[in-house]
Amino acid sequence: MKNNLKVERAIKNITQEELANHIGVTRQAINSIELNKYVPSTVLSLKLSKYFGKTVNELFTLEESD
Amino acid sequence: MKTRFLFPNQFKQVGWIILIPSTILGILIIFFNCKFKTIDSNVFTIYSTVFGGEPTILGFFKGNYANTIVGILFLTGAIFVAFSKEKLEDEFIAKTRLESLVWATYVNYAILAFCFLFFFNMEFLIVMIFNMFTILIFFIIRFYYILYKSKISLSREK
Repeated sequence: MKNNLKVERAIKNITQEELANHIGVTRQAINSIELNKYVPSTVLSLKLSKYFGKTVNELFTLEESD
Repeated sequence: MKTRFLFPNQFKQVGWIILIPSTILGILIIFFNCKFKTIDSNVFTIYSTVFGGEPTILGFFKGNYANTIVGILFLTGAIFVAFSKEKLEDEFIAKTRLESLVWATYVNYAILAFCFLFFFNMEFLIVMIFNMFTILIFFIIRFYYILYKSKISLSREK
């Protein structure tokens, strides 16, 4: 699964730390999602979607391998 | 994040305070043969046999609680250190914990299988004594190492 969290973060001009604090997760979680090392749960995806004001489909996209 | 079966974060510190001295005492008992004879007493048993004697069933016999106390303290400390929540508990931490537990179980039993093949008699008994504790030790090392590594990789990112 791909994501454009990094891009969205850049648009909002916030750091991983700030995003993590806002959502209530560790910075490691945000970092590993951006690096495609970790697929977030539905709950976390919805929280991110709410924070950025975008749908989950706009933030995350399926890949061939999924 | 809601978690099941984990201790509150404060238990972690308590865990270290119990774990460190009991590890030192355990090393003294296993490697330096310390007997702590001063606490020899009658100990209660469900079923034990003293060499060449009749078994004691649900009764007392002359023994020593040193191993018992150190063993239980070590387990308590290690369980607290291993299974207390992190300050900020999230799904990434939960995933790391689960993976570390799987990893520790594999490593622990791979080493045990190796020892099954190459150690016998008294030496295998010593292997078994260690094996009672190693799964927790391997888990603690792996879990904290991964958390440490992910913190290091953060300091390189912006």
